[in-house]
Amino acid sequence: MSVNDSVIALFLENAARSAAVVHRAEGAEQLRAKVSEIAAPDEDLFCPLVTELEKAAAAGCTRFVPGYASARVTVEEVSAAIAETGSIVCASSNGKAVQASLLPAHHVAIVPRDRIFATLDDFFAAFATAPPTNITLITGPSRTADIELNLVIGVHGPERLDIIVV
Amino acid sequence: MKTQTSLDFRTNAAAAVEDGALRQAMRNATDTIGTKRSDAMESVDFSALREKASAIRMEVLDNLPAYLERFTAQATKAGASVHRAADAGSANAIIAEILRRNNVRMVAKGKSMISEETHLNAHLEKEGFEVVETDLGEYIIQLAGETPSHILVPAIHKNRQQVGRLFAEKLGVDYSEDPQVLTKIARKALREKFLTADAGISGANFAIAESGSLVLFTNEGNGRMVTSVPPLHIAILSIEKILPSLADLPTFMRLLPRSATGQMLTSYVSILTGNRKEGDATGARELHIVLLDNGRSEIVKGDCREMLKCIRCGACMNVCPVYRTVGGHAYGWTYPGPMGIVLTTLLTGMAESHPLVDASTLCGACNDACPVKVPLQEMILKQRVRRVSEGFSPATVSMGMRLFGAAVNSPLLFSFGERLAGWFWSLLRRVGGENVFGRLPRPAKSPFSRRMP
Repeated sequence: MSVNDSVIALFLENAARSAAVVHRAEGAEQLRAKVSEIAAPDEDLFCPLVTELEKAAAAGCTRFVPGYASARVTVEEVSAAIAETGSIVCASSNGKAVQASLLPAHHVAIVPRDRIFATLDDFFAAFATAPPTNITLITGPSRTADIELNLVIGVHGPERLDIIVV
Repeated sequence: MKTQTSLDFRTNAAAAVEDGALRQAMRNATDTIGTKRSDAMESVDFSALREKASAIRMEVLDNLPAYLERFTAQATKAGASVHRAADAGSANAIIAEILRRNNVRMVAKGKSMISEETHLNAHLEKEGFEVVETDLGEYIIQLAGETPSHILVPAIHKNRQQVGRLFAEKLGVDYSEDPQVLTKIARKALREKFLTADAGISGANFAIAESGSLVLFTNEGNGRMVTSVPPLHIAILSIEKILPSLADLPTFMRLLPRSATGQMLTSYVSILTGNRKEGDATGARELHIVLLDNGRSEIVKGDCREMLKCIRCGACMNVCPVYRTVGGHAYGWTYPGPMGIVLTTLLTGMAESHPLVDASTLCGACNDACPVKVPLQEMILKQRVRRVSEGFSPATVSMGMRLFGAAVNSPLLFSFGERLAGWFWSLLRRVGGENVFGRLPRPAKSPFSRRMP
């Protein structure tokens, strides 16, 4: 899938509007530098270390924890992204734990540029009838407005979401 | 708190109008949502989208039994157990039985209006289970021992000072009225509950027939927690929540959050298909789906079937001049506002709810706001007709209507009535408990009919 620059630009714009912090990186070295800039070196970090991009991203990190439940930050490559809504997509395919994007207070999502879909329709066309157990579209950090409709960022899910398009 | 019923709507509403804090809170909240909603709609073609959404919902209602069968088959294939519950009592009993069989002690619960409809919490607590509401708004009202007053913002009637005092009293924390601080207190208190709960109970916004999936739109993350952290997940939803396929979802993803909270999209949209399978690291090990009927398969055959298109966005209540003034509790049952008037009379029967049909000015703002084109105004009128035919009109109203009917049928009687009204107006002004005549303009000295050339 070749994704043109205007789709990437739209994705970054909409993601930023949803209160995510967006970044771009060219190649493994820039990705590693970005991640060490975003996640402080003394934070307990969870990274699945399965994909090449995850390995590259976490190369500069030192404090790994084996489970996401006790981590302060998760760094992971996500399944897809959607430009129309600025969403990233976490799916349970290939044994991925979708909760890794939920329990830690800080989520760093790596999005390969060729997996950004232009619209919601394009995305759902990709899973016709047999979706994996869990597909979660994430648009910005967790939030509530349950007290006097005052927006508060960071309820039960992450209070900070960083997205790096590679 | 005293339980309010729909039959007490007039007294409930009169009390609500006197409650300054409530009116202030309602005005702030509905104004804020209203502004955000119109801003969010600017990025889409609302009228084209609602046509499309309405057609999809009608397609499901026209073939509901077939779609339910397809959904049940597909969800079962994906590893879920699907249960059909004819009424609230049987839904509660099914859920209690599943919990007992799994030796559950504590349940973490996500927001579900259907569980409010069945009074699930009260039933489970009576059976000895601990039930913790985890949506911030629901958590607040559970601590306060109240019921939701809005289907999306359950604690819309409470201001920050009231929430601050409630947390200080019930959770033993220092008083704060900063929503930021109060939210963090709830996060901390509930995190432990998520991790130790034996089961999670949630609702669902949609069920997808083609794939057997459940779809949940959430913002806080508690919906994701209760559906994926505990080993057992029970979802309760009503039978009409079906969409044909995942390809229909984008239309509703564009409409529902915009109509509900004025967001382009909620923070999370979860699509859950079956239980945890071989090789998965996500998902409840056991998933039960309880489909509640509670009269809906009859409603879908009747002349108010379009009510079941409703996707529970709350837009109709936010624009309703009556709801905005009296708030949700006055309606006395699970669903308030225009959709609540229709749904309450349909689901609980006229005998339990007839005063509600007056809770509308018939201004039609709800019709314009509805993202699936439910003709609410027409349906409220239909319920008024039903009230008369079922004999639930107040005696003074039916007597007055009968007299008026006789008068308009006879020009002689009518003009006599006009004269009578003119002569006795100053006397008439003093009758009627609510000073009804006093609020009307004085009749003309000479009626219009006699001034015609």
